Amino acid sequence: MTPDPGDGLTRLVHRVVEVDVGPQTRFDQGRLTVSVEAASACLADPALAEVRLSWASPGQSARIVKVLDAVEPRTKGPGGGGIFAGFVGPERVGGRGSTHVLRGAAVVAAGYLPRAQEALIEMSGPAAALSPFGATHNLVVEFTPADGAPWEDVDRALRRGVLQLATHLADAAIESPPDAEEHFPAPPPAGAGNGRRRVGAVTNLQTQGTFKDVFVYGRSFSGGLPTLIDPGELDDGAVVSGQFGHPSLKNPTFMHQNHPVVAALRARHGRDLDFAGVCISPEPVVAGHKELVSAHAARLCAAAGWDAAILTKEGGGNADADVALKMDALEDAGVTAVGLFAEMAGPDGTGPPIVVAPERATAMVSTGNYDERLVLPAVERALGGDRVALLDQPATDELALPIAVVYCALSPLGWGHLTCAPEAASETTPVTEAISQ
Amino acid sequence: MSRIVHYINQFFAGVGGEDSAGTPPTSRPEPVGPGRRLSQLIGPEHEVVATVFCGDDHASSDPAVIAEILEQIRAAEPDLVVAGPAFTSGRYGLACARVAAAATAAGIPVVAAMHPDNPGLDEAGGAPVVESGEVARQMGPSLDRLAAAVRRMLAGEMLTADDGRIGAVPRRSRVADHDAATRAVDLVLTRLGGDRDATEVPLPRFDRVTPAAPATDLSSATVALVTESALVPDDNPDHLESARATKWLRYSLDGRDTLASGDWRSVHGGFSTVWANEDPHRLLPLDVARQLQGEGAIGDLHPAYLVTAGNGTSVGNARRFGIEWAADLRHSEVRAAILTAT
Repeated sequence: MTPDPGDGLTRLVHRVVEVDVGPQTRFDQGRLTVSVEAASACLADPALAEVRLSWASPGQSARIVKVLDAVEPRTKGPGGGGIFAGFVGPERVGGRGSTHVLRGAAVVAAGYLPRAQEALIEMSGPAAALSPFGATHNLVVEFTPADGAPWEDVDRALRRGVLQLATHLADAAIESPPDAEEHFPAPPPAGAGNGRRRVGAVTNLQTQGTFKDVFVYGRSFSGGLPTLIDPGELDDGAVVSGQFGHPSLKNPTFMHQNHPVVAALRARHGRDLDFAGVCISPEPVVAGHKELVSAHAARLCAAAGWDAAILTKEGGGNADADVALKMDALEDAGVTAVGLFAEMAGPDGTGPPIVVAPERATAMVSTGNYDERLVLPAVERALGGDRVALLDQPATDELALPIAVVYCALSPLGWGHLTCAPEAASETTPVTEAISQ
Repeated sequence: MSRIVHYINQFFAGVGGEDSAGTPPTSRPEPVGPGRRLSQLIGPEHEVVATVFCGDDHASSDPAVIAEILEQIRAAEPDLVVAGPAFTSGRYGLACARVAAAATAAGIPVVAAMHPDNPGLDEAGGAPVVESGEVARQMGPSLDRLAAAVRRMLAGEMLTADDGRIGAVPRRSRVADHDAATRAVDLVLTRLGGDRDATEVPLPRFDRVTPAAPATDLSSATVALVTESALVPDDNPDHLESARATKWLRYSLDGRDTLASGDWRSVHGGFSTVWANEDPHRLLPLDVARQLQGEGAIGDLHPAYLVTAGNGTSVGNARRFGIEWAADLRHSEVRAAILTAT
């Protein structure tokens, strides 16, 4: 059956295979040229004294340090056409019609902000494959705050500017024929699935105050209650990250736009299951609030007729409790639950893998061990800063670090291929060898 | 032919008992004591090329001695290191476990043997350990099992519970065929299909700590302030980590009644430190403690506070900090501690 274009979202995919700078921002047959002048204008703000833009591409001897957020260039029409509603577009519900996507490119903000933890992207070498941004052409935005500007204003200016820049880049492709079209129907209502099981995604957003916050339609989601959201809205940038802790366990805006669990459920929709939709929930800091939002999310999913849910988190430690509480609450409500967790088993892998584990819903997927040690070879060029804060070493040095520092390496949304297994039982290749192949 | 180096203690090396427990690390280019029987059991295709031994007191007293032992082991160019069997002997077990952990860290294959109740077992840090009997009388069957494990390891295989493996089996990162999101969908379908046990992550087993009885008379007790809030002198002179701490520190409170803003700083990476840095007493209540001391409500205030950063800390390190803090405070005759957590 031909999909009704009014129902759901179509991605018009333009593949970026080459990047450059030039007098005008344009996209032509896979080649994305950026005008530094026009791009810098997207970031004009009283809180920013200066911004510097440069490309970092796969295979280069380059490292990005102090990574803050990453955004995939997208637009729905000239000026954005409603993309990133609440930041670039007006506050209107998105997720329908068509959206241009510059696949293979990202806008990456990098530099110092308070509370931000050191985060690295390697553009080559053994750790490049550990981050989604080791394989994208990254337009890196470095910045100098204006004298006396409050850090909160710098953070706000940067977020809005990076989203505007991502829109500006995608706008250049509006006239180009897409390389591919991907159509995703909206989730069907309960009872429409011919007996197939209804499976949804519950996505916790780390909402713990300024510099550790996530925005939905331009507003902080701190203090909110769980809500159902159409997966197409994620595609159109309804969820934007302002969360700079736990680099390997972070969900940048890019990952919400390309939510891996949503992608996996879309891929099986209408065959093994019916994709029932997405429930987003805050991750509060107070235990009582964690219990409240967990019970609330479970009730929502049950009311929406879900048979099962896949739960994801953002951040370490206390964020495990948010997943565990929701998993148990869902099971109690008759909804089968599976949670994604990174393990924190210590460098030797012998510690308890999870900080707070579910008691009744015990199906868990591992995204790898946070404490796994890596050695990253020296590089020719570093962006984002001169030094690596964590080690107080020049950013171009050979670095010995835990995988916890590699941006999105243990992606709680399920992007990566890492897992953990008991030493003796495993027959697959150890990670340190496998990633360097 | 594979080269094996055997680690044993002074007693099994025939040097002597408790009177010789201070014997320094020594190497002999041949099997010694139980190594002779082990050598026969593993067959002519492998050879015990050296035995390294050390007195129990000496080996268990100082981690530097383990490095020295490892150097002597390395000098004999082993393909595999064997340590023990240590039975239930505490110091010997500790030494075997630490040698096994050090060899593993250095990339040298190793297997140790001891009884599951040996207190040293936890120190192996995931290095392979196989079960032995409780006492030396059970040397025969213990060496049979150890020799079988040695042959398996030299064949390039991993040890499992079927080989008598005991202690923690490390979980290692691996590259899976599919991304985690796809595996989660598979797991949901498996679970919906009725398999209630399927999981990639086993449920962790946590220690249950029984709290100590409350201190009865604080007016005669020395009270300590301890914290995981990462509050340190402003220049962080000892480089306390903001996350995944590997150490704890002690700073003097002697002669201080308050903690001035600007002199102290929290380097904790897990929460906003703005308000704590405005008034460090929010993390370490020295002001109130001094007041209570002045009123006689507490006998004395311990003249130093202990601090680490509780943020993404591995359970192993957290447990070690706790043991070391308890020992440190006990040594100073502290009767009660206030632990401020963040």
